[in-house]
Amino acid sequence: MSAVLEEIYQKKGEEHKSVAKKHVSFRPANEFHTNDYSNNHIHTGSLPQSHIRNIENTVDGYPKLQKLFSMKEKQVMQYNTKPFGCTVELDEIVPTLNDWIQKDNLTFDVVMIGCLTDNQFIYPLLTQLPINRLISKPGFLFVWGSAQKINELSRLLSNEVWAKKFRRSEELVFVPVNKNSPFYPGLEADDESLFNKMQWHCWMCITGTVRRATDGHLIHCNVDTDLAIETNNCKVGAIPNQLYKVAENFSTATRRLHIVPARTGSETPIRMRPGWVIMGPDVLLNNFNSKDYKNEISRVGSNLPKDPVIESLRPKSPVSNKN
Amino acid sequence: MSLNWGLVDFMLDNHMTMMAHPVNGSLHDIYVMYSMFMQNFLWKNNECGVTFAKFCSDLDQISQVCSGCINIEDDSEGSIFNKKIAYINRDTLKLLQKVHYDKAIKLSLAHVGSKTKENYVKQDIPQSQGDSSDIHPSLLHRLMGVLEKSETITPNAKCLARLNQTLSTELGSSKLAKEQAELKTEVMPFIPICSDSRHVSLFAMVINTVNNKIVSLQTEKLKRLESEHPGITECVNSHIHFVPNLKPQTDLSLGDCSYLDTCHKLSTCRYVHYLQYYPESLQRQKNAELKKSIEQQTSFYTHGECCSALSKSILPPQWIKCDVRKFDFNILGKFSAVIADPAWNIHMNLPYGTCHDNELLQLPFELLQDEGLLFLWVTGRAVELGKESLQNWGYEVVNELSWIKTNQLGRTIVTGRTGHWLNHSKEHLLVGVKGKPEWLNRKIDIDLIVSATRETSRKPDELYGMIERLVGMHARKLELFGRDHNIRPGWFTIGNQVTGSSINEVDVKRKYSMFTEKLEGSKTH
Repeated sequence: MSAVLEEIYQKKGEEHKSVAKKHVSFRPANEFHTNDYSNNHIHTGSLPQSHIRNIENTVDGYPKLQKLFSMKEKQVMQYNTKPFGCTVELDEIVPTLNDWIQKDNLTFDVVMIGCLTDNQFIYPLLTQLPINRLISKPGFLFVWGSAQKINELSRLLSNEVWAKKFRRSEELVFVPVNKNSPFYPGLEADDESLFNKMQWHCWMCITGTVRRATDGHLIHCNVDTDLAIETNNCKVGAIPNQLYKVAENFSTATRRLHIVPARTGSETPIRMRPGWVIMGPDVLLNNFNSKDYKNEISRVGSNLPKDPVIESLRPKSPVSNKN
Repeated sequence: MSLNWGLVDFMLDNHMTMMAHPVNGSLHDIYVMYSMFMQNFLWKNNECGVTFAKFCSDLDQISQVCSGCINIEDDSEGSIFNKKIAYINRDTLKLLQKVHYDKAIKLSLAHVGSKTKENYVKQDIPQSQGDSSDIHPSLLHRLMGVLEKSETITPNAKCLARLNQTLSTELGSSKLAKEQAELKTEVMPFIPICSDSRHVSLFAMVINTVNNKIVSLQTEKLKRLESEHPGITECVNSHIHFVPNLKPQTDLSLGDCSYLDTCHKLSTCRYVHYLQYYPESLQRQKNAELKKSIEQQTSFYTHGECCSALSKSILPPQWIKCDVRKFDFNILGKFSAVIADPAWNIHMNLPYGTCHDNELLQLPFELLQDEGLLFLWVTGRAVELGKESLQNWGYEVVNELSWIKTNQLGRTIVTGRTGHWLNHSKEHLLVGVKGKPEWLNRKIDIDLIVSATRETSRKPDELYGMIERLVGMHARKLELFGRDHNIRPGWFTIGNQVTGSSINEVDVKRKYSMFTEKLEGSKTH
């Protein structure tokens, strides 16, 4: 009985509220409001990047781009090799790669080095690696690391020998959404730092010649952006999927290698990915052999074929510029 | 025959009380304690008690199994009331307990393993369910225990956990600095943006727009919406909404305009544009907040502040119109922080003259700071050049800030071929430190700025707040290559695009007039 009464009272209360609301002015404000997220962070602790409104779907509001992304994803999946893993101790990475190059005549078009961990051994790896023989021309190199690591590597990559072979073309950034994220580079923070570090950096380098206007069979420019933010469906691991996707969307090549020159441990596992050979000491799957890989590549072809729909959708250099 | 493990646990939990006054280790008193404990906590409804003899033999057993863990004194023969525990070795007892505990886990795991196997073979599902229900609580408890324990069991893991804890502990200085910053930074009004995508289309029906402006809202319609979508009125009252500004030429299937509110062809563009709506009441509230927050609070933590921080007013804005390349930096004095946004000589048609990279590198930056921070905006190719230059000028690159550029709708910029190979959604700001400035308040902000784009090459204002929190409000701050919109209190702005000059510091004023006199003198000769 009392429950019924309560309900009636509640309803009456709501009616009262709605009557009160009638008098609330809905007149629109006459000035544009912009939030200062850095200021808000100081007072509430909420991080600026968490207010970005297209994290889950970066191309929200752009149906053409949405279609392009899904078409490209489908095509990449269709022409993927099966996932290959190669478990190698850190000091065996370079000899193994040398074997692949010399004995098996393997080359790759897309090579990614490093992951979102300390990458302790990236420097010796980069100095010892027969990188110009490992990567074909034209080829693409992505080097991931903490901002600190990338800064340290800058001397190496800007020395003459390197700079001639690999042109630094873009600088990518990956941002975790908060401090509890598995991708938060917490321990990277040093006492010298002026700001709390919340980014991972990547150098995208190009070797050989590609022209964005004429080499549409090799590269698709301006599809992705140089920024990736952790999404809800990011799985815990050493490498979020977005890192692979940028490379897959940019280059049409199917021969892709990822070297993880660090122990990543069981808490940040390295997940296998179709279309990639992933190599490192903590890679769980060890199924790589050159013969199988070559068979897979000859099955899928070394580059994705041209797709008329993708061609019509992807951003291209303006034709008028050529005159 | 097994040990009385309950007694071991009991002794471990209560050894302090047992040895302290008034019990003083008296065996009989301890027996009373123990039996009360058993009655109260364990077998409340069970009559089964423990006799004193059983208690004594259990104790004996424990001391036999684990020699030295308890030492029973017997000063007068015969009288059981005079038996005393003289000493309890807690550590050995703990070891004993741990051995038992680990063994119990192993046993129960093996036990459950074999049981479920049996059940699997029998395919006796109901029974297995019945079984699991009575096994699970204790098993779950133990498994949880294993997980918790595993961290402390191996010495390596223990060490790692301690290291991690130490490394991730926030410094007291940065905690205090954060508190100070929170007290001293004025609160900017914050209005959340509605994240319910349905509201956009619903709201579009309620809004009346004239001349690309929202003029009113149909309250009746909104009320009707409220009945179908409860909460929408509340949301409209408290959030920013972006309403599509639909025109006869708008083609919804095309999606959003890349330029949105900065589109120059608003009257012909077929893409969707948006108008911002939030009620006037929020605007009034926001202005009131702004007024209130201007009264700054003081903080007891004063690291990095000047000694008269409370009474000293902040320097008014100062600026000099000049060609930075030919300006004598000696005039300006020393600064705690310098921002430079040079127009790097990249191949783009920018609405202002670019200077050659060489000219920039030759600027006498060493004159501006003895110790302090230099913030250098860089684009693409200039990142490397910028890092090198900073080092040449005597700075160490300690941070690389990213400005994540957003559009009217608070989304990152993803269209428009903004970069050569990939689209650019961010810009980089290099941060160099010269000397060992101990007066900085580090790690208050993060190395990201999320802010909307404005006029070409105009940088986000959030940076000023971040720098002021680092070096303090009263520190001298300089902006090179600034424009009129960069002029602000506490900052000295120089560049060839500011209007006129305004100098308040007497010293600078004197040196500047000497400099201009000399210039004019050389012209007349």
